[in-house]
Amino acid sequence: MTRLAWWLIRAQFMTRRTATALSMLAIALGVALGYAIHLINTAALADFSQAMKSVQGEPDAVLAAKDSAGRVPLALINEIARDPAVAIVAPVIETRVRVDHAAIHSGAPVKLIGLDIFSAAAVMPKLLPRQDSGGAGMFEDGVHASPALLARLQLKVGAGVTLTRGAARWRTRIVGDLPAARPDDLLLVADIAWVQARFGPPDAVSEGRLRLMPGTRLASWLETWTARLPAGLTLRAAADDTQRVSNISRAYRVNLNVLALVALLTGAFLVFATQLTAVAQRSTQFALLGVLGLSPRMRLLQVLFEGLAIGVPGAALGLALGYGLALAFTRVMGGDLGGGFFSGSTPVIAARLLPSLSFFALGCAASLAGALYPAWLNRVQPLAQALKTGFAQRPPAVHGLYARPRRSVLIASALLPLAALGLTRLPALDGLPLAGYGAIALVLVLGIAVAPLLTQIVFGAVARRALSAPQRVAVQNIVQAPLMAQVAASGLIVSFALTVSMVTMVSSFRLAVDQWLDAVLPAPLYVRSKGMPLPQELLAALERGAAPFARIERSAHGALSLDPQRPAVVLLVREMRRADAAARLPFTGPVVAVATDRVPVWISEPMQELYRLAPGQTLRLPLLGREVDTVIGGVWRDYSRQFGAVVIASDDYIALGGQFEVSDLALWPRRGEEAAAKAWLAAHAAGYGLDIAESSEIRALSLSIFDKSFAVTYALEAAAMLIGLFGLAVTLAASVWLRARELATLSALGFDRAMLTRAVMFEGALIAGIGLGLGLACGIAIGAILTHVVNPQAFHWRMELTVPWLQVLLGAALTLAAGIAASRFAARLATRLPAAQVLASAQ
Amino acid sequence: MRRRSFLLTPLLLPALAAAGHAVRYAAASRSTRLAFPRDHGAHPEFRTEWWYVTGALELPERDMGFQLTFFRSRPGRAETLRSPIAASQILFAHAAVTRPGAGLLHAERAARANLGAGFSATDCDVHIGAWQMQRGGAGPDQSLRLAVHDAAFAFELLLKPTQALLLQGDGGWSQKGPQPALASHYVSWPQLQVSGSVTLDGRRQAATGRAWFDHEWSSEVLGPGSVGWDWIGINLVDGGALMAFRIRDGAGASVYAHAALRAADGRLTQFGADEVGFTPLRHWTSPRNGASYPVQMEIRCGPHRIRTAPVHDDQEISTHRPLPISYWEGLVIIEGTLGGRGYLEMTGYANSMNL
Repeated sequence: MTRLAWWLIRAQFMTRRTATALSMLAIALGVALGYAIHLINTAALADFSQAMKSVQGEPDAVLAAKDSAGRVPLALINEIARDPAVAIVAPVIETRVRVDHAAIHSGAPVKLIGLDIFSAAAVMPKLLPRQDSGGAGMFEDGVHASPALLARLQLKVGAGVTLTRGAARWRTRIVGDLPAARPDDLLLVADIAWVQARFGPPDAVSEGRLRLMPGTRLASWLETWTARLPAGLTLRAAADDTQRVSNISRAYRVNLNVLALVALLTGAFLVFATQLTAVAQRSTQFALLGVLGLSPRMRLLQVLFEGLAIGVPGAALGLALGYGLALAFTRVMGGDLGGGFFSGSTPVIAARLLPSLSFFALGCAASLAGALYPAWLNRVQPLAQALKTGFAQRPPAVHGLYARPRRSVLIASALLPLAALGLTRLPALDGLPLAGYGAIALVLVLGIAVAPLLTQIVFGAVARRALSAPQRVAVQNIVQAPLMAQVAASGLIVSFALTVSMVTMVSSFRLAVDQWLDAVLPAPLYVRSKGMPLPQELLAALERGAAPFARIERSAHGALSLDPQRPAVVLLVREMRRADAAARLPFTGPVVAVATDRVPVWISEPMQELYRLAPGQTLRLPLLGREVDTVIGGVWRDYSRQFGAVVIASDDYIALGGQFEVSDLALWPRRGEEAAAKAWLAAHAAGYGLDIAESSEIRALSLSIFDKSFAVTYALEAAAMLIGLFGLAVTLAASVWLRARELATLSALGFDRAMLTRAVMFEGALIAGIGLGLGLACGIAIGAILTHVVNPQAFHWRMELTVPWLQVLLGAALTLAAGIAASRFAARLATRLPAAQVLASAQ
Repeated sequence: MRRRSFLLTPLLLPALAAAGHAVRYAAASRSTRLAFPRDHGAHPEFRTEWWYVTGALELPERDMGFQLTFFRSRPGRAETLRSPIAASQILFAHAAVTRPGAGLLHAERAARANLGAGFSATDCDVHIGAWQMQRGGAGPDQSLRLAVHDAAFAFELLLKPTQALLLQGDGGWSQKGPQPALASHYVSWPQLQVSGSVTLDGRRQAATGRAWFDHEWSSEVLGPGSVGWDWIGINLVDGGALMAFRIRDGAGASVYAHAALRAADGRLTQFGADEVGFTPLRHWTSPRNGASYPVQMEIRCGPHRIRTAPVHDDQEISTHRPLPISYWEGLVIIEGTLGGRGYLEMTGYANSMNL
């Protein structure tokens, strides 16, 4: 038996080289994509948590302010240190400074960490200065620089530097380096007291990192202290940080994984189409083997075995491909999968056994699943009939199933849309749009299920009309041999539906982002300083009349931690009047008037979705070390800050006691002085490491990031279309081959080769037309689900549905043409042999 | 005073070496009259200060030794920095428990004042995190509270005085070397009654025993040529108290020595350098660093001859601060013309104390 099985597989692979290779490739693609996503993400997370451990150390818990402008009072640090359950409190002041040394400027701000060497030694050993520069150097005026920073500034230990943050300045010296800093860390470390004396805050620190005594129960300890904390402070388990980071990219990863699953499914479909035709074409051989004693079970196993023979090399290739893809991707784009979540990191890809085996098994399972139905069909083939007349598309055992096709299909086509509609109404499950994905699957099933019914209705009607002989032959073929036609059509339905839906979703999104960029970039020029206030000199110069600007809008950034389980919400302090809000932000709905004695804030759409807020509601924000009751004045559209943003007017922020540390500028040059304005900015901002950009540049950059993040999607669309087309070609060729005798008979009856070819091409066109039509309908439905359900649930932003008709119809036309070309190829294959030989060889 | 200042040196070596000239430390003065409880508190203008409690417990186990020491150091750094957390005053603490036959458990902490640690300048009240030494009450009701929490052991003890303070040297001014400039302010409080609890292996047990409290502050370091010292403080069984020390040179000879014996009735006898002698009887060699400590010694104080017998040979303490340093500090049983329990400290055997 084994020898027979291998012999059959070899024969099968030899005769269907292209089909087999493509099936393998499709499986490989699905496995590769899923595996690559897994590898990249694992590596990026490991990289991130390592980076975090290098800078944050490995505390058990972290005490910090909810507001990035807030502080942890020294008194609280000292109080918590006296808890017998606390082994060490490592206080830290973290800030960003500009580094200048004579003519050398640091450009982008550099992180300055003020630490206490006694506590840091145990909690943050990677931040300790070199031994021989000793603990004592830490107590005096001086900073320690990471090797990467020294290399970038081309400075040596001993160099005098000036550190600047806003109006505060520290003239000091680099007294040592940080040997344990990671090779890409740009860091300065100094004694906490010196950082506090130079940059503040007085009587407070940024964070306390805590080590607890062994045996302390972290959860209950956190609970006890959290209840005692003053407003505006939060205590979190440090182990959650990696988890929270993982959550940041979770929705994005799930989306990509669904795409990988789609690739795998198309692979399974291709295996299905290939094996089905293989079973049909070899029905006589199998029948003969059956008569010679090959049991039905063995016939079933043989087809499954053949499926596995495609799956195993496919999955293995997929693993190799995925590994290579992950490697290439991290080299080129870093570890953020194009999502922009971990930019700057260069993670190391490492394959582990268990996940690799799982992805391998997934590939094999997909090809096995594809072979399942053909295998079963092979088992139930009536031997005698198969020997005599060849493959039975509807074996006797299945007749019952097809007896009431119209009724069951009608019921299904009534119930499935209802079920899909119901699923789209369900909320996200655990933050993921799982019901939405379910609805998409249902739409696809529905499309495939109604295909035969539609075929019969449409072509039944067509067949009753007067047609030319070749056309009549084609139509009759489709109406009466629906299995092959359905297989061919369903491949197209699925692949075209997915393509249309992706194109629809992406173009809707792109259009929405485009419009949104218009709204959020009203000024011609923007200046930004990452993570630190803009230099005082620049702000002062802007105030003077000589500056060639008609209008300036200042703003500042912060971060508020509203929920320890979620990433912080961005706080935007903007120079704007309450009354102007409607004109300054792209609101999604009405703007609520807020009483003059209340503080209005305007929240972004993701924030509204994440925290279930509504305009007019009171929102308690942890601002400036206390809880401040604000009123939500409206919800604005935001496609850039996925975890929420809240805008407050700078006047209100200052009135609350906040310091308006301007970090961003929107600038409107005076009319006719645009070039002068740019030159003025370049001169005044030189050496500060500021980002200066025209709105058009920001816009182009944003759109290019957008396109980059959908690069994987585009690749998949192309793959899906190719697979769909190939499925059509394979099944058409098989069905034509099966009817070689019939074609020969037609030819004997006077059909010439051109007429026969035209008949087959017409058949191909009709099937492709049905597939494309249904695919288009399903695709738009799925596009709507992606846009209105999956996107808001996964990413918390909404947009209008825009179907790019031109692209879609062009795609459909191209596919139709390709389908007709494929059927022409099939027809030429079938009519190549002389009719007499075909007729003679049959029985 | 030199005897424990060395503990700080590895931590602060560069700071001490570099800063000595720039900062004006207060000097121990013979004319200073001590007043309590104020002088139980810290003297931050001096370079070094420590509060030191050692004792022998009866419960949970006979002859279980314990010690808790808080050091305050003014490294002379960041003196002019205007920040509440400037590293101008730094605290260190060492705690140890010796179980006879089982060995020594040791733990240490370090922090700058006002950042997880603090001290009072008006009374004995010093802490690093939850580790604490605090005096409270007045007259006969006064007491010292000790608290230590570590992964391996913990204790919370209440120390009640049974006798008056013992001001060492001349009213608390204690000379430490042949040059009169080498001196400290030194106050002892022997025969303290101990009650409280000791936690070992996660098991908390009641504790009783006798303890000895030392408080010493100064600004001068070891004289040139000295490498270490031997020091002992003994609670005698008859209610008396004996303190003796000697400073050694590189050859092991005494550079300076002194002893004070207070009888149970309060009579104080001081012994000069020529009346005090330390003679090794048996050495124990550390398996960690090969240092050879004379764990059994004969100590001569005037007419008295006493011998030390450690409850456990290995009571060596090694700290893991930037530079490794080791010394021997542990409970010894005293026999001879006087009997009791004492704490013996021997330094400079594994490393030279030369600055």
